[in-house]
Amino acid sequence: MRFAHLSDIHLGFQKQEALQKIEQEVFEKTLDECILRKVDFILIPGDLFHNNIPEMRVQKFAFAKFRQVHDAEIPVYVVYGSHDSSPVANSVIDLLAETGYITKVTRVKESENGKIALDFIQDKTGVKIAGFSGLKAGKDREYYEKLDRDSLESEPGFKIFLFHGGISEVKIEQSQEGEYMPLSFLPKGFSYYAGGHMHRFLHYKYADYLHVVYPGTLFSGYHSDLEENAKGQRRGFVLVEFDDKVTSVEFVEIKNADYEIIEIDAENRKADSVNKELADKVKGIDSAGKIVIIKVEGELTSGKTADVDLSAIREYLSQSGALAVNINKNKLTSREYKITEAKGKDKDEIETNVFKENIGQLRFEQKELIGDPGVLLAKKLLKELGQPSLENEKKMEYLQRIKQGAFGILELKIDDS
Amino acid sequence: MEEISIIGQVVGGKFGDIIVRQKAGTILEIGDLLVSEEDSSFLILQVFALQYGSQIQERMQQMMSGVNLEQGVIDAQFYEPEFVNYVLARIKPLARVAKSDGQVKIPKSMPSFFNKLRLISNKDLEFLKKGGDQIFVGHIRSGTKVIKEAEVWLPAEDVFSHHILIPATTGRGKSNLVKTILWHVLDSNKVGALVLDAHDEYYGRRGPGLKDHSNAKNNLVYYTPSSPPAGANRLAINLQSIRPEHFEGIVEFSDPQLQALRTYHRRAGDTWVTEVMRVDPDTVAMSGDNPNRGEFAAVTLSVIQRKLRLILGLERDEEGNLISRHEVFDSTTRGLTTVDDIVNNIEQGKVVILDTSRLGDEAELIVGNIIASRLLYRYKEYKSTGELARKPVATVVIEEAPRVIGEEVLTRKNDNIYSTIAKEGRKFKVGLTAITQLSSVIPKTILANMNTKIILGNEMKQEREAIIASASQDLSEDDKNIASLDKGEAIVTSIFVPFAMPIKIPLFEEMIKEHQGSPKATKTKVF
Repeated sequence: MRFAHLSDIHLGFQKQEALQKIEQEVFEKTLDECILRKVDFILIPGDLFHNNIPEMRVQKFAFAKFRQVHDAEIPVYVVYGSHDSSPVANSVIDLLAETGYITKVTRVKESENGKIALDFIQDKTGVKIAGFSGLKAGKDREYYEKLDRDSLESEPGFKIFLFHGGISEVKIEQSQEGEYMPLSFLPKGFSYYAGGHMHRFLHYKYADYLHVVYPGTLFSGYHSDLEENAKGQRRGFVLVEFDDKVTSVEFVEIKNADYEIIEIDAENRKADSVNKELADKVKGIDSAGKIVIIKVEGELTSGKTADVDLSAIREYLSQSGALAVNINKNKLTSREYKITEAKGKDKDEIETNVFKENIGQLRFEQKELIGDPGVLLAKKLLKELGQPSLENEKKMEYLQRIKQGAFGILELKIDDS
Repeated sequence: MEEISIIGQVVGGKFGDIIVRQKAGTILEIGDLLVSEEDSSFLILQVFALQYGSQIQERMQQMMSGVNLEQGVIDAQFYEPEFVNYVLARIKPLARVAKSDGQVKIPKSMPSFFNKLRLISNKDLEFLKKGGDQIFVGHIRSGTKVIKEAEVWLPAEDVFSHHILIPATTGRGKSNLVKTILWHVLDSNKVGALVLDAHDEYYGRRGPGLKDHSNAKNNLVYYTPSSPPAGANRLAINLQSIRPEHFEGIVEFSDPQLQALRTYHRRAGDTWVTEVMRVDPDTVAMSGDNPNRGEFAAVTLSVIQRKLRLILGLERDEEGNLISRHEVFDSTTRGLTTVDDIVNNIEQGKVVILDTSRLGDEAELIVGNIIASRLLYRYKEYKSTGELARKPVATVVIEEAPRVIGEEVLTRKNDNIYSTIAKEGRKFKVGLTAITQLSSVIPKTILANMNTKIILGNEMKQEREAIIASASQDLSEDDKNIASLDKGEAIVTSIFVPFAMPIKIPLFEEMIKEHQGSPKATKTKVF
C-alpha cells in the first residue's frame, strides 16, 4: 500500500501569468502522478490554496483536477493551512469538502475539562487519520495545549497525524517565517506525521515520532522559494509505502522550470558600479524561457537604493524572452539614507519621531519636503497610503483612489507622473 | 508601648554590641528583631548572642548548686529568682526608620539607655512594601518567628544584573529558594533567565514545579534531551554552534591542541568539530597532499579527538553522522537554531530551563557557555545600538559555581564566559545567579562583585568567614547566626536592602498551593 503526501501548494499565489501557468502545471502533474502510481490516498496538510477564497481561475482548475482524482477513487485528506483557513469566513476547502472531492480530517468529539479530544477518520485501507489545521499567527497552539493526547496515543493500528506548522526541532534558519512549536506538542506513537508549512522536503526520525515529514512546496509559496529553486532546490511530493508500518519514504521530484540567478553584492559600492555589474551579468546569461532571479544586497556608500536601476534590466530580460523576472532588493540599503529608529509613547508619536530623526538626511530644494513641514507632509502621506481597501472595492479602484489621495497631498496632478 | 509587649531593656554595652536584659517570662532567640522606640524614629536591632546574667556572685551560685546536688535538698531556690538571675542579649542596631515617612537609614547612634524594647511587628516593616518590578525572596523572620505580612521583595533589575550568590550546604533549601525566586520571575517579562538545571528539579517533570505557574505557558521554556513532556522542547545543539573558545576555562587543552582547534575552526568554519572528528590523525600528520600535513602531531589530533569524544559524548550513527550519546549534540541539521531560540526567549523576559542532568559536568558547562556567550554578545550589541534599555535584565543560574568561577579554575585555565559575566556583565544587564557550597574558593574580586547574597545555613566555619568577609552589610557578629540557620531560613545581604534581612523562604510546594486556583475550563473552537 502507498500514499502520497503533498503540501504548501499555494494555488493562487503567483501574480505573473507565466508563473501562474507553472503553478497550475506542477499541481496537475503531481496529481496525475498520484493517479498513475495508484496511491491509496493523498494527504494535504495545509496551504493547498494561497488564500481562503482564491480567484475563480484557480478554483476552476483545482476543482477539475480534484474531480479526476475523485473519479480515480483516491480519497484526499486535508487540513487547513495558515493561508487557506479563515476563522471568520468560509474557505474554498469547505466547498471542495462539500462536493466530496476532499475530506477534512479534523474531527472533534466532546471532552471534559476543556480538553480537545480528536476522532480518527478511517480510510478504506484501515489507516486511521487525525489532525489539526494550522491557523495564522500560531493561534493553533491552543489546540495542542488542550489536546487530549491519551485517547489518540492509546488507539491501536497504523495511524497518521496531519498538522500544519513549524516544528522547532527542524527549524534550520532563524529567519524562517512563522511560529514554531515543539515536537512534543504532537501526540506520540503515530506511524507517520504528515506536516505542512515548511517549504523544503524534510524527514526526521525520533524515538517517539518515527517519521516526521514535510514534502515542501510544489513550486513556490513565498518569493524566496523561487530563489531557492534557482539555487537547485528540488520540489515535489512524498510517496510513502507501508504495511503495518512505514517501509519507505520517497521524495518524488516534479520539475517546474529552468532558472538563472544573478546575485550582486552592493556592500560599500555606489549605484553606478552596481548598475554596471548588473548590466554585464544580465548580458552574460541565456534567459530565454527561464525564470530569472536578481538579488541585490548590501549597503551602498552613497545615493538612494532607487538609484540601482532595475526597471531597465527587467525590460531587457523580458525582451530577451525570459519567462519571468523576479527582483529582490529587500536587503539593499544605503549608508546615506539609513532609517534610524526612534521611540515614542504610541504609534503616532513613534512615526513622528522616526520622520524627525531621519528627515535631516534629505537634501531637497523644496522647503515643504524638509524640516517640520516635511515631517507633516510625510505623516499625511503615510496615513493616506495606509488606508485599507473598502468592502467590495476592486483592486484597480483602490489603487486609483489611493493614488489620487497621495497626489492631492503632494499637490500634484496625476498627469504629472 | 504596652507593658505586655516589652521583651527587654537596654542595660549597657557599646555601639554594635548593646546589652539588653531579657524580661522574665519572655524568650529571646538568636536573630530576633527588636524595636527601640525613639522620638521621631525607631531603631531595629537584632540579637546576635545570648548569655546568662546574675546578681549573685559566681561562687555563691556554685555553692547553691552544691547544696542542691550534694545535700539532697530538693528544689532549693533563690529568693525572687526573676530579679537575680536573667538572660542578657547582645544586640546590634540594623536600621533607623523615620516615623514620618518610613525612610530607612543606617543607624549611627545607640538606643536611649534603659530604653525598653519590644519584638518587631509587621507594622514596623511597612517600608518593605512591594513596588515596581521586584522579586520575592521570603518573609521577614525574627529568630524562628515568621512575620508573614512582612514580605521581602528585591528590585529585580538591580539585583540580577549585580549578581546573586546563594551559599549553602546540602539540605538547607537551595533548590527551594531558586524555585521560589524563579516562580516570581515568571510573573512578568522583566527578567530573562537561563537555568542550567543539573538535577532536572525546577521544571517539575515528576511533581510540582515551575510548570505549575499560571504564566508558565507564556514565560517558561523547558529544554530536555529525552522524551520532552507535551509543550517542552528537545534539547539539541548542533555542533556548528560550538567554537573553540567555548572550551576555554572549562576543558584543559595544551597550547598545541588549542592551536589545532583554532586552525580547524578557521579552515572549516562552522563544521570544524565534524572535520576534526572525521580526520585520521596519522594520515593528516603524514599525508603529502594534505594542507595540514606536518602542522599537528598525530598524537595532538588523537588527544583532541579523544577529549571531544568524551566531553561531548560523540559517536557515529549508522549513516556515519556524528551524534552524541546523550542526544544533545548533533552534526546533521538538528538544533541549528536552538542557541538563538533560547537567547531570543531570554531576551523576551522568559525563563529558559535546560535539563542538563544527562550531561557530564564539562558538557553542561559548555552548553551553558555557548548560550551565555551568545547572550552577552547580543546584549553588548544592544548597548552599542542604544537598545539595551528596552531589554529585560538577564541572569544565568548556575549550580556548583566554583566549577567555573573557582580560584583554581581561573588560575589554571583562562577566563570563561561565567567569570566574564561576573566581572563585566553588569554593564550589559547580564548577571549570574551562582549557587555554591564553597564560597571560600571563589576569588574575592568575584565575590565582592556579587552584590546580593542570600545566605542559607552553613556549618563550615571557613565558608561562613568567606561569606561574612564579602557581605554587603557588616555580618562580623553573625557567624553563629549563620551556623544556626535552619532549613529555609536565610539572611539577605545586599547593596539593595537597608540592612541584612533575616528571612524565611516559603516552602515551594505550599506556595504553589496558595497561588493555584481551580483552572477555568474554556471551550476552544476548532477549525
